[in-house]
Amino acid sequence: MKLLVCVKQVPDMESRFKPDASGVWYNEADLAFRMNEYDEYAVEQAVRLREELGEGTLLTVLSIGPDRVVETIKKALAMGCDNAVHIQDTTVSAKDPWQIASIIATYAQDKQFDLIFTGMQSQDRGSAQVGVTVAELLKFSCTTTIVGFAYDSCTVTTKREIEGGIKGVVTLKTPALVTCQLGLNIPRYPTLPNIMKAKKKEIVAIQVTDFMTTESRVTTTHFHSPMKKSGGIVLEGDVGELVDKVRAILKEKSLVLR
Amino acid sequence: MDFELSQDHKVLQSAVRDFVEKEIKPIAMKIDEDHAIPDALVQKMSDMGFLGSYLPEEYGGAGLDMLSYAIVVEEVSKACGSSGVLISAHTSLASGPIYTFGTEEQKKKWLPPLNSGEKIGCFLLTEPGAGSDAGGTATTYSRNGDHFVINGSKTFITNGGYLGTGILIASFDRSLKHKGISAFIVDLQSPGVTILKNENKMGIRGSYTTAFAFDNLRVPVENLLGQEGKGFNVAMDTLNGGRIGIASQALGIAEGAFERALAYSKERKQFDQAICEFQAIQFKLADMWTRIETSKLLTYKAACLKDAKKNYTMESAMCKMHASETATFVTKEAMQIHGGYGYIADYEVERMYRDAKITEIYEGTNEVQRVVISKLLLS
Repeated sequence: MKLLVCVKQVPDMESRFKPDASGVWYNEADLAFRMNEYDEYAVEQAVRLREELGEGTLLTVLSIGPDRVVETIKKALAMGCDNAVHIQDTTVSAKDPWQIASIIATYAQDKQFDLIFTGMQSQDRGSAQVGVTVAELLKFSCTTTIVGFAYDSCTVTTKREIEGGIKGVVTLKTPALVTCQLGLNIPRYPTLPNIMKAKKKEIVAIQVTDFMTTESRVTTTHFHSPMKKSGGIVLEGDVGELVDKVRAILKEKSLVLR
Repeated sequence: MDFELSQDHKVLQSAVRDFVEKEIKPIAMKIDEDHAIPDALVQKMSDMGFLGSYLPEEYGGAGLDMLSYAIVVEEVSKACGSSGVLISAHTSLASGPIYTFGTEEQKKKWLPPLNSGEKIGCFLLTEPGAGSDAGGTATTYSRNGDHFVINGSKTFITNGGYLGTGILIASFDRSLKHKGISAFIVDLQSPGVTILKNENKMGIRGSYTTAFAFDNLRVPVENLLGQEGKGFNVAMDTLNGGRIGIASQALGIAEGAFERALAYSKERKQFDQAICEFQAIQFKLADMWTRIETSKLLTYKAACLKDAKKNYTMESAMCKMHASETATFVTKEAMQIHGGYGYIADYEVERMYRDAKITEIYEGTNEVQRVVISKLLLS
């Protein structure tokens, strides 16, 4: 059985973001990078399945980006992936989700993967399009935002989040792709011995130009900080007075009391 | 010259950081209050491979290098100096000398349980009358058939309370001074070993600091570490490597205090502005950060020299001295930036201030480090 997990390296979300010179993306200088949180759930689930299935199963991790994404690839290897593909691309942030999905699909189309795991979305761009688009391009069955996963002889059973806190159960036949959500699992820490073992695992580096088949369909025109929130209001007085004031404000400024 | 960590070291640093953030930081204050590191945390750190980072895989270690070890101790100490010194003393002072001076049989027997955390290691050198002056060791040994018999006492033994595996320094004949000294690997669960007390301390309260008495402790002859009469070399070499661990611990404590001071200086408002807007605070932050950065450069350099199998005696003494003085300086300034709140036990800088001081004292006082450095300069 062949498994693929796709991971993206994103900046630490605690960072301060500033627009770059082009004005359409953030300035990457001085940012600390790490694995996209949702991709950690994907890696963990893929590794668990790999461990469950044992020998004869091969789990590959794929990432697109400049040299620094190798750190994220190595983390995935230390968590338990068997080998890696680094699609080298120094301008990855200028590509839209359609192009990224096309690159992954072009790479994967002749590799006979049975199951592909991705994060639900990335923490920086947050489009949530790459996973589903890869599935569409490869004609894989697909489900998104999974919080439960089981596999048994070519059948994947997932629990997925639906609006309003409801969960749905979706069953898919392989080949399939799932996108992983918070709550699916608790990703393991890469242990020191496994970090050491990961050094010996193969990372195949390929130029992105080998898989570039499409033009972008979406263009980013502007990147700016969110509008500054106006200052809050501090209300004073006894309880009855406060309730009246809150009611008046809610009536005037919101839809809650209409 | 490239001052960047390698990608592998960055992966390690990030993994350790995540672990520390979730598993150690939330309980660091409780470790201080309880005067104990929970067994569950010791187990988790063992599972992570923190207790055998630079020991080879064939003996159950992680097979990484000294720089990785320094990073582990540093990151752990950012949250908890007690947990940092547990790793440092265990690795540098027990597993380290067995790996450096042990026979193949000794390595195979003693290292796997140390690297897995089944046994916690310690170094039994200091005595009531001999600390920095190892030649003054009064604990004696004599040969009796296929055993050595050890009598005496040891004090201030980090990790001693775990009663795991110890490297014990004893003298055959006190009049021979350092030439009469030998080193032994000791199972501290053996008859003849008594804990006199676990000390109550100002800082690193989660760490055991133990006083022992040895009454006719019988150690099999095969537990002699290195050659008989060469124990002084074992002790000196061990302390040399250990200083990198303590420098890393001190560096971590300083960084932990700095992070909190920096954050607090942005939050705390006086005279209608954040206190970081005042030059008095800005200059403190600049001084603190500069000392942290120089400590880091020295510590990492000493670790890299050891990895390259080059002489690192001067660098290990310098990094230990400088990082420990950075730790006491930075924690003091961090407390000052916090004002009255810094003096309250609810704010972590109070604990860090207490934890920092010991790093100027143990693993050779800073006065001894200055002796080492100046001797090398003048030799």
